[in-house]
Amino acid sequence: MQHDFYLAWRYLCHHRVRTIILVACLSLLATLPLVLHVMLDEGETQMTARAESTPLLVGSRGSALDLTLNALYFNAANQSRITMAESDRVGQTGWADPLPIYVRFHVRDHPLVGVTLDYFDFRRLTIAQGNMLAMLGECVLGADAAEAFGLKPGDSLPTTPENLFDLSGVYPLKLHVAGLLAKSHTPDDQAVFIDLQTAWVIEGLGHGHAEGKKPEQSYGLPFSQVESHRVHDAKLLTYTEITPENLDSFHFHGDPSSYPISAVIALPHDRKSSTLLKGRYIGNEEAVQLVQPLETIRGLLENIFRVGILFDAVLALVGTAMLLALGLVFALSLRLRQRELQTIFLLGCSKTKVLRLVSAEILLLGLASMFVCLALLEFIQLYAGGLVRLFITP
Amino acid sequence: MEITVSPKFLSFCFAALLLSISSAWGGAVTDSPSLKIVATNYPLAYFAERIGGNRVSVNLPVPPDEDPAFWKPNAKAVGVMQKAELVLLNGADYEKWLPRVSLSKFKLADTSSSFKKDFIRIENAVTHSHGPGGMHSHEGIAFTTWLDFDQAAKQAEAVAQAMIRKRPELQTVMLDNLNTLKVDLSALDSQAQALASSKPGVPLLGSHPVYQYLARRYGLNLKSVHWEPNEMPSEEEWAGLRKLLETHPAQWMIWEAQPSSAVIAKLTALGVGTLVFNPSANRPETGDFIEVMKTNLGQLKAAFH
Repeated sequence: MQHDFYLAWRYLCHHRVRTIILVACLSLLATLPLVLHVMLDEGETQMTARAESTPLLVGSRGSALDLTLNALYFNAANQSRITMAESDRVGQTGWADPLPIYVRFHVRDHPLVGVTLDYFDFRRLTIAQGNMLAMLGECVLGADAAEAFGLKPGDSLPTTPENLFDLSGVYPLKLHVAGLLAKSHTPDDQAVFIDLQTAWVIEGLGHGHAEGKKPEQSYGLPFSQVESHRVHDAKLLTYTEITPENLDSFHFHGDPSSYPISAVIALPHDRKSSTLLKGRYIGNEEAVQLVQPLETIRGLLENIFRVGILFDAVLALVGTAMLLALGLVFALSLRLRQRELQTIFLLGCSKTKVLRLVSAEILLLGLASMFVCLALLEFIQLYAGGLVRLFITP
Repeated sequence: MEITVSPKFLSFCFAALLLSISSAWGGAVTDSPSLKIVATNYPLAYFAERIGGNRVSVNLPVPPDEDPAFWKPNAKAVGVMQKAELVLLNGADYEKWLPRVSLSKFKLADTSSSFKKDFIRIENAVTHSHGPGGMHSHEGIAFTTWLDFDQAAKQAEAVAQAMIRKRPELQTVMLDNLNTLKVDLSALDSQAQALASSKPGVPLLGSHPVYQYLARRYGLNLKSVHWEPNEMPSEEEWAGLRKLLETHPAQWMIWEAQPSSAVIAKLTALGVGTLVFNPSANRPETGDFIEVMKTNLGQLKAAFH
């Protein structure tokens, strides 16, 4: 037996080019479907990881997928808005902590995301350079956004109006870059984060302006309130940059609970709280809905990754064709080796011995292909995360 | 060889075991890291210190010479608040800077939210119009809520609840301390009630509009002006005072701090005495909140004799 393998080994070494081609064909044949599945699994893991870490989402009634993609991946879909009252409502239940989020605006194709500071703790986003948001009008940049803009802490980033002809629309504001976030390999890397209040200034709900005419004050009645009336006209200078000098002039109008947000990430305290909270949003009369991002994303991925089954079918067909081709190559090579095999037979080897020699060759080729396949898989698995991030996830 | 264990030795071992368990439990409670709190005015800082004792570290970031109601935090102060585990807010529009800074909402505790419906609205607020929004008003709310000692007790309770949420293991200690504090506040409340009811309806003047809750709770017949202790009011303002004294014959004016001797002299000439009722919004140089309030009530006695 040992001699059979020795002779087969020597034979394969002697015809090394043919051996290498055969091993390459066999190992690629085995590796391709496996690599595809590794990549698909990694893609699924990465895409569901964000949904998995986001327990519940509250948003306007409609497409659960649009809501999830908007709140988790800052998708540009025009998500209907809800009000801060919904965020307060989640908090008031005592079952969950609310994280309001407002995704509506964009700065040079990067999402401008209005959040509270708690969002950064929740997503474990840390500052790599500069400082966290502190004052109105500041922003922090995700790692990729910072790279794309070429900005550093202390620089400015002007927001762009949604529509040049909408003069009463989105408020153009020069944002101050307070800090840059460390790379997180999530959609947060693409985003420009601002405080919700800054988002509402851009929305036009808050503004700062120069003082108008001095109010007329009467001191004739010292024990009544000082009455003053200011009437500002359309020429009133409205600030487009928030500086320490004009910060105090910025103010908001209306009831803060009516201010818009796009979604609320609800963080239930435990499973019971989660169930109770879900119960609150059952009913068609509700203008808002509560969705479980993991279920929504899984549903989406199930549809997307059905393509994996198609790949498997195609690969199975190609593999069968390749195996047949290899069988043919092997059969033809045996016919070419007819004289050599005849010589072995004349030297006194039985037909069984010849068969054993050929089997040993096939076995060695199979083993070599298996090792190459395993090595390739190991290599791919090492870099699968990076490859998926490069090609699948943003 | 047979080993015999005496009952005395067994009971000693049992006692040692109990002691070690109890000390480990006690250690677990006392070893909790100090709760970092930022308070936006002194009454809240005092309540937190009384309730938390040495288990909390309370920071009042307002400079000693500044009124916390008009203090505006800079980026550094905001950084301090961001690092704290709990930020105690007075509410009632006290922290006007709040919409202009970024703070974690989970760390904020509005201590006056439980009696929001009882806030006193300042009438005749500035009204203006610009842009498509039409006329609107920047309404104001009276913010010295703690001068009503019943409201102060509610604020203390809110402080305790917020602290317990952050350190549930200290609940028993904190609730005990809260009860002691509430006893002190209740005593102040009773003292103020007794004082005001001794001579109801006595006309009083306030040098600044900060005594609204004090006046409402204790039924004081108080009218306020906008005078500063270290500034001499204009002749126009003196004329207004004389006019008012005709319909509101007050003999005492309540000041936040001791006014200048020139102002005292001029008031004395009009038959108006001065007394100090320090709202204690910032940390006092000596004493604590309760002591300052006791002194205030002592000063107020003069108006009811």
